[in-house]
Amino acid sequence: MSGRETILAAIRARKLKQAPLPGPYKAPAVAGDLAQTFAKKLAAQQTDVRVLGSMADVPDAIADILRGRNMAATIHIPPDSELALLELPNVEVRREPPGQFDAAVTFASFAIAETGTLAYAAGNGNPASWHFRPVLEVAIVRPGAIVAELEDVLTDLRAKGGLPSTLNLVSGPSRTGDIEQTMELGAHGPKSLAVLVLKS
Amino acid sequence: MNQDPRQFPKAAREALNDPLLRPALTRMKMNFAARRAHGVHAYGDFETLRVAGRDIRDYSVTHLDELLETLEASVNARGGKVHWAATAEDARQAVLAILRETDAKTVTKGKSMVTEEIQLNPFLEANGIVPVETDLGEYIVQLRHEPPSHIIAPAFHLTKEQVADTFRLEHTKLDPNRSLVERNTLVQEARAVLRAKFEAADAGITGANFLAAAEGAAIIVTNEGNGDLTRLLPRTHIVVTGIEKVVRDMNDVSILLRLLPRSATGQAISTYVSIMAGPVGERAEQRGFHIVLVDNGRSKLIGTEAQDVLRCIRCSACINHCPIYGAIGGHAYGAVYMGPLGAALNPGVMGVAETGHHANASTFCGRCAEVCPVMIPLPKIMRHWRAVEHAQGLAPKSLTFGLALWAFAAKRPRLYRLGASLLARALKLFGRDGAVHALPLMQGWFAVRDFPAPQGKTFQEQWQARR
Repeated sequence: MSGRETILAAIRARKLKQAPLPGPYKAPAVAGDLAQTFAKKLAAQQTDVRVLGSMADVPDAIADILRGRNMAATIHIPPDSELALLELPNVEVRREPPGQFDAAVTFASFAIAETGTLAYAAGNGNPASWHFRPVLEVAIVRPGAIVAELEDVLTDLRAKGGLPSTLNLVSGPSRTGDIEQTMELGAHGPKSLAVLVLKS
Repeated sequence: MNQDPRQFPKAAREALNDPLLRPALTRMKMNFAARRAHGVHAYGDFETLRVAGRDIRDYSVTHLDELLETLEASVNARGGKVHWAATAEDARQAVLAILRETDAKTVTKGKSMVTEEIQLNPFLEANGIVPVETDLGEYIVQLRHEPPSHIIAPAFHLTKEQVADTFRLEHTKLDPNRSLVERNTLVQEARAVLRAKFEAADAGITGANFLAAAEGAAIIVTNEGNGDLTRLLPRTHIVVTGIEKVVRDMNDVSILLRLLPRSATGQAISTYVSIMAGPVGERAEQRGFHIVLVDNGRSKLIGTEAQDVLRCIRCSACINHCPIYGAIGGHAYGAVYMGPLGAALNPGVMGVAETGHHANASTFCGRCAEVCPVMIPLPKIMRHWRAVEHAQGLAPKSLTFGLALWAFAAKRPRLYRLGASLLARALKLFGRDGAVHALPLMQGWFAVRDFPAPQGKTFQEQWQARR
């Protein structure tokens, strides 16, 4: 017998009483304005959250974020990204994948208010590895991207044809508590996360 | 380092006298319990959420065959492949076959207790493949040739000085005189060393916290992002996980994701949650996505008194709240799964003769069941294994003799009353300052405690006199 048959036969031979279908569960509703709740929850997770008027304010914000961290005025933008058209007069743009001391900027597909979480659906122009390679990630959240909970993200993705190959949920910079149970930032992913929430 | 669960009592005594373990365990107990309590309180109605989690997992465990078949079809449809491993050896061979097929020589690994369970690393090394653990705690214990001492905090038993010594010994290409005093310096050094390993790896192996059958997705939660670099940089991604991790769909996962981090670390959500369905495809050669489903004794628990332990989502709350684990740590168990989880699971999958001690190492205080996010009746399952041990004649002779003696007396009320009254009077004679401090043949018991001295009459005698 193959492993498949062995396992399925073992399960079926022993299965006695089947539990009923679970009833629906609704998480407590997210209170207040979604954008404000999202910003508040994510800011509480060591994240630099800035509310901007529109895309026109992004170049200055990026330059300021890099300056504030004493980083070179260089940023990586994925090829084929919708951000490719972004004009950054004072910052050098690179298209190759960022290294571990570089900065990168991407659009977040969704922002989840319940937990202050960015959701990135991988695809052309949105390579998943870019959320883990750099030391600084800048994420741009468009007004229509903010939803209440993860279930809303899933509903939206299903309507668009299903899950991407990778859906990354990110709620702050990378961290570890593995040495003496004390939290330290920048374990493998970005040590620093900046989020630009656009009002329009 | 104890690797034999039969040596548990001896290893536990040694752990109690380990001076380095005491501060780590004290910190562990304070931190995890306080953080969970805070996370649960902040959520609001956590009890309703626990009931929902229990029902979802109960449905999974009793519909495993259907869900696994659905999962396989969904994974196939997304360009992945499911491998079925009835035993640990089957699982090791399945992983090796995938690595050989893709000509992989080095692999990075995300955190996976199932790969510890099937002892994958020594097997890969014996076959010329270098596995590199990338979760910081797992990396540290791998360098030290130790097993993890906790399922989600594998190196919590070490001090930062021990970690610094290990790094100085192993990272030989770095300046031997560099400063390694600060924790973050250690974290950054591991980050740089491991980044090179990620870039060079041919394949990445992760576990899975959940499998969503309808979507063909594997889900992992991490705080470091190591699981993601493990998946996203190499050509091939292999997920190794237990058959019981499957649930119906991503909606089930969304609910369980509210339970898991809060129960584990008190976080509302872990920093990274990765939902992985199919090959990465960022580069043309990234075409391999494999899920190795490991049974290794799980299916034989279905339909037994221990079935409910299959609901487990490996949050470690039971371990973090266990007074036994809190006193001795994880290594003493000599098994991959420790604490109440190990006590309920190990006798079922590894055998009562090998791991019966684990089920006996309990005060039955019940905190494990109180904090379990999927409401597993852990003390009830431990009691079941104790009964099996007794029925199979595996319990120590002194215990079975003592119980048989007590049962003989308890079934004969006159004899019981006579014995009790004699004992009460005899113990009164041994009493000093209202307590018995020592008795012949019971040095062990009295070494750490006193027994209140009886006042000379039994409860039943006093009751008769007063009514």
